[in-house]
Amino acid sequence: MSELSIVITGRAGQGLQVISRTLGRMLVRAGYYVFVTQDVMSRIRGGHNFARVRVSSGPVAADGDKAQVLVALDPALVARHLPDLAEDAVVVTEAPAELPAGMNAVVIPLADLAREHGEDPVMANAAAVGATLALLGLELDGTEEMFENQFAHKGNEVVKRNVAAVRAGFRAVEDDHKRCCSHRLGTPAHGLGHDPKLPGSFGHVPRHVLISGSEAIALGAIAAGVRVVTGYPMSPATPIVAYCFGHAQEAGLIVEQPEDEVSAANLAIGAAFAGARAMVCTAGGGFCLMNEALSLDGMTEVPLVLCVGMRPGPATGMATRTAQADVLFSIYAGHGEFPRAVLTPADAGQAFLAAQEAFRIAWKYQTPVFILFDQFMADSLWTVEEDDLRTENRQGRQERQASEPMEAYSYRRYKPTESGVSPMLVPGTPEQLVYADSDEHTEEGHITESAATRDLMVNKRNSKLHGIRQELGEVKVEAEVEAETLVFCFGSTRGVVAEAVARLQKKGHKVAMVHLRYVWPFPAEAVAGLVTKGKKVVTVEQNHTGQLAQLLLQEWGLRVDGIVRRYDGRPFTVGEVESELEKMMGVGNG
Amino acid sequence: MAEQLTPRSFESADPIAWCPGCGNFGIREAVKLALSELGLKPEQTCFVSGIGQAAKAPHYIRCNLFNGLHGRTLPVATGIKLTNPELVVFAEGGDGDGYAEGGNHFLHALRRNLDMTYLVHDNQIYGLTKGQTSPTSEAGLRTRTTPCGAIEPAFRPLALAVMMDTGFVGRGFCGRPRHLADIIKQAVQHRGFSLVEILQNCVSFNHVNTAKWYSHRIYDLAEEKHDPADRDKAYQKALEWGDRIPLGVIYKSGRESYGVLARDMTEVAGTVPDGAASLRGGDCPPLATSERTPALVDRLLANFR
Repeated sequence: MSELSIVITGRAGQGLQVISRTLGRMLVRAGYYVFVTQDVMSRIRGGHNFARVRVSSGPVAADGDKAQVLVALDPALVARHLPDLAEDAVVVTEAPAELPAGMNAVVIPLADLAREHGEDPVMANAAAVGATLALLGLELDGTEEMFENQFAHKGNEVVKRNVAAVRAGFRAVEDDHKRCCSHRLGTPAHGLGHDPKLPGSFGHVPRHVLISGSEAIALGAIAAGVRVVTGYPMSPATPIVAYCFGHAQEAGLIVEQPEDEVSAANLAIGAAFAGARAMVCTAGGGFCLMNEALSLDGMTEVPLVLCVGMRPGPATGMATRTAQADVLFSIYAGHGEFPRAVLTPADAGQAFLAAQEAFRIAWKYQTPVFILFDQFMADSLWTVEEDDLRTENRQGRQERQASEPMEAYSYRRYKPTESGVSPMLVPGTPEQLVYADSDEHTEEGHITESAATRDLMVNKRNSKLHGIRQELGEVKVEAEVEAETLVFCFGSTRGVVAEAVARLQKKGHKVAMVHLRYVWPFPAEAVAGLVTKGKKVVTVEQNHTGQLAQLLLQEWGLRVDGIVRRYDGRPFTVGEVESELEKMMGVGNG
Repeated sequence: MAEQLTPRSFESADPIAWCPGCGNFGIREAVKLALSELGLKPEQTCFVSGIGQAAKAPHYIRCNLFNGLHGRTLPVATGIKLTNPELVVFAEGGDGDGYAEGGNHFLHALRRNLDMTYLVHDNQIYGLTKGQTSPTSEAGLRTRTTPCGAIEPAFRPLALAVMMDTGFVGRGFCGRPRHLADIIKQAVQHRGFSLVEILQNCVSFNHVNTAKWYSHRIYDLAEEKHDPADRDKAYQKALEWGDRIPLGVIYKSGRESYGVLARDMTEVAGTVPDGAASLRGGDCPPLATSERTPALVDRLLANFR
């Protein structure tokens, strides 16, 4: 597997997110696997932001190690990245910078090229894309088509200027610097059936896409039939709502940004009660405000999907950074007892499926379902096979409840059943009335204080958890090895842990990973089957208190042998997880 | 043959838990009268309420009902109306529910102007929790939480509504159900957000603003030939309180409703492809009955290539 990493650095406002995505998409179109992470400060202009683009001939789901290429839109930022660069790295920049021996500078007048060809200095980012592609020995075929795809909404003129700037950057390297870079990408791995002039051809029909976790959640929800999306702006959930706003007409969505999170949640509940598939998007702090609505949702048995993004707390914490510290909070949020599911997808592909699953379970069991994600998963760009974003398309569609003929005005919204799930009608059904109530209620839905009815309804609601448990399916060890150590993780750490574990296996360690794509209902029985006597158990999690370890103890009485933690707001690196795990496994285990 | 609708058609079997003599009984009569005279079948209406004595009201008539949380009536009602514009949506609750806990939602519902009717039972006191001060309590009112008298001046919701150019602003009195029913009917017929403030006595906890106290002060704006389109005058009337308290239609705005504006905007922005006909109210069909084609996801996916 051949691979390399590119760091693109600059100030907020220089278009780093655009440039890293553009470059990534062109590399995916060329047949490579790409993984892009964003390190962004909570400010609109200035500061220091960077993106890391990892390119490989095989699947990648984590950040790489040292980077071979640094693209600095602001030359003053070069020095800060030197420790992260390979000894023979190439630095693309506007002005000469002091570099350690072994590194090469490629000095290109990016801003001038941008002004001349792109008619706008911000197009320096496009010129940098062209320069990088030239350095890596790739071609520019298909650039127009890609920009048309990406910027269609901004009009032809913007597409044209971007393409011109990319070409100018490309030529600048072709003419003067081509030999500065010894780093070349090997044969691309995916996209069979493309032009034989490899490497670096853009001639094939693309079968992979580069998509963020947020976009995958939104797309998955749309595929699952979502009709009403609400949210009050808050990182890292804003991009999900933004995608829905951008495609509201095309997808037939009602997207609302109401006055606050309280309203967003209640509005979605009203929409779902009235018969629309509804989803509310927020992050930790906003989700705090939704706790009362969550409890209402459990009591009224309204199906609802909540997308909750995790970032470091408490309170405002670090707005644009990542954490996995709201797991226990999501499981226990809301007063009173009611069933829920908490899904923790690992990447964009799983996020798409999680959205499908969330809607299916929420509507089948008439209860809230969470898509619990983090900033790292949501903002990173993942290479996903297109077919993986289609597989369950049809499954999530509205399942009409076959209603038996009913006497006029005899409907009982909370009629007890064996599964706990009552037939659901929407208000407006001819000759039937629907009553939903946040008070404890009778089968009809009227307020009651009867002790017997209270017991009946508590049992009915909570019995739905059994069905949800069945629905969520299996949890397994992700390796065919006789493992002595099992590494448990959930959500976005999967890519990093998988790679670290693979490295350790190569070194001879008997270790394997168990990734939980849902944490509630906790798959205690599955876990019990995996962790047989004598096995060591370690968790890897982005929080301080070891919340997954707490769940293992509480739900199944297992005290873990170690916790690898990180809570500085930055995602784990493969190297640190590898070395931490190695320490925990101890000498002689390999 | 279809059943002839009468106030009895809206009679609920649910036992009523209000105090004898409560102003809510008169309001309930007025609502039943209005619904039957509007010719609405029970299933065509959806009432949303929060928590409080007033919020129990929808249980005591026949209608679709979502009895949610204290203060959260308007967001739930908004979700329902956006999803199914064919439903005649009412929000109903008290002064604490609407103006204290739900204050922010109230402000933004006035601004949004979605087509629904908000019935606020205003007795200037908290009943369910046994007699605490409310946002509309007059300064000086002694309650359990204001033993020396309320310090803040009373909130004037109708003045705020006029200031916000709310679709329809009216006021009735629980002791005059016939008059109140007429106000509610006009509110329902208005396309936009309609606020109906209902003056109400509380026999258990408000011993100042009694039914008798109101009877001596209220008068009907219709008798003064008040023009509800005159916003300056409407503002004066909305603030009038004390010896004389106006009832009737205080203000009507020519402002287009949210649903119609959203629909028009969609039409201007371009045609809506397959199955995406329903967008934010207007005259669109309910979302629960609309379908979507599988080709949509393929089309959206192609943008990521």
